Amino acid sequence: MRAVLSSEWLKLRSVTPTYHAIGIAALMVALGVVWTFYVSGLTAERGSVQAAAPEQAFLPLIQISLVVIGVLAITSEHTTGMIRSGLTAVSRRGALLLAKAGVAGAVTFVAAHVVILITYVVSWLIADDRPLGFNETVFSHDLPILLASGSSVTVLALVGLGLGFVTRSTAGSIVSVVPVLFVLPTIAAYLPAPWHTRVTALMLPNLVPQIAGQRPSRGFGDSFLPPWGVSAMRQGYAVIALAVGFHMLRRRDA
Amino acid sequence: MIELRSLTKRYGATLAVDDLTFTVTPGHVTGFLGPNGSGKSTTMRLILGLDAPTSGEALVNGRPYASLSLPMRKVGALLDANAVHGGRSAYNHLLCLARTNDIGPRRVAEVLEQVGLAGVARKRVGGFSLGMKQRLGIAAALLGDPEVLMFDEPVNGLDPDGVRWIRDLMRTLAGEGRTILLSSHLMSEMALTAERIIIVGRGRLVADATVEELIASHPTLEDAYMALTATSVQFGSSR
Repeated sequence: MRAVLSSEWLKLRSVTPTYHAIGIAALMVALGVVWTFYVSGLTAERGSVQAAAPEQAFLPLIQISLVVIGVLAITSEHTTGMIRSGLTAVSRRGALLLAKAGVAGAVTFVAAHVVILITYVVSWLIADDRPLGFNETVFSHDLPILLASGSSVTVLALVGLGLGFVTRSTAGSIVSVVPVLFVLPTIAAYLPAPWHTRVTALMLPNLVPQIAGQRPSRGFGDSFLPPWGVSAMRQGYAVIALAVGFHMLRRRDA
Repeated sequence: MIELRSLTKRYGATLAVDDLTFTVTPGHVTGFLGPNGSGKSTTMRLILGLDAPTSGEALVNGRPYASLSLPMRKVGALLDANAVHGGRSAYNHLLCLARTNDIGPRRVAEVLEQVGLAGVARKRVGGFSLGMKQRLGIAAALLGDPEVLMFDEPVNGLDPDGVRWIRDLMRTLAGEGRTILLSSHLMSEMALTAERIIIVGRGRLVADATVEELIASHPTLEDAYMALTATSVQFGSSR
């Protein structure tokens, strides 16, 4: 297993799309700087503002850019045909899937957290002592939601990887992940009460605030999940996508 | 040693491989011939466990490929030279494969030297010609120094120098007591390289004989092939 992991690690870092994806995710720092300067400027006329934290506002940017790492880990092998060399070298298909999940999971976990923490720190430094809303807490209060945001990126990357094993297509997988992130939560909000809040609470983007014990949005009601429920749901997304991916990988001809 | 026992693969209504039974023995090059679509590549994928047979089995050294631990040390294969990630360097491509089977970077450098790609080892594979990719694919097959080797049309795209190189390499590898299964459409080249010939047509075994036996009854190997596969050609003009 260690041998397969080290191979997957080399596969990931020996191609440029990995760096492009991380580079685009890192743009969040720049957007955070611009955002913080902008809202800091507003305090001059208004005294104080209630601005969203940049690492929350721009989270979808990291989610979408890093999900590509999970997707490409498998779909690039299908589009090039490299998968046949890969499965010839590692004939235990489960080991190949686990190694890909381990490497893509670890890389996106580290990259997401680093970008989020830098954005957080830089925006606080720029904000200084101006009351911008997001900087009126303490770090220990913000830490759970920072970690939840970072982990949500890894969950999405693993969902993308699982879907990559199913669809074998880069575009197909990315197009399947986007609805999970943006479309389903919107549709869920239109369900009849009380189902709209019950279902909305299970949507991946809404798990992030719930981990920190916050409501996903105003008017959400009180039916959000207990902490263990949130963790279970979050891991459930990744585990189910990877399990379906494994089932297809084992069953189908390469 | 490669053994096929009633190997059959069906894709929907198509029988790609139909009750194929033959043995590829070590010590000489075995040519694997057949018209386009006759099931050669499918047979190789079945041997490597990439596709699951509908019935029958394929064994490598007496065992199914999927049951081998560190399979690259037992079997090397070149299926499709173009099946590489164009953005990766030749060295990294081989090292990715090598690491899965606990093969070190020194061996990677060795095979790159052996196939004549040491000078472009750090160049991206995307810029390689087909001939260079064939050499890279052969390097990958040789990584684990395996006893059993399979090459699917490795001569395509090679220059005359490369064609001769492959011929010598195949004969050398066979001379070392390895099992070599080599598919190609170049009959004159096959006559120079192989000792035994297996011909398939429409997924079925058409001939399993030595080159000598085949050219005893026909002027050349090409004539023998044409006569034997006359009823098996599925794609092409009538002849």
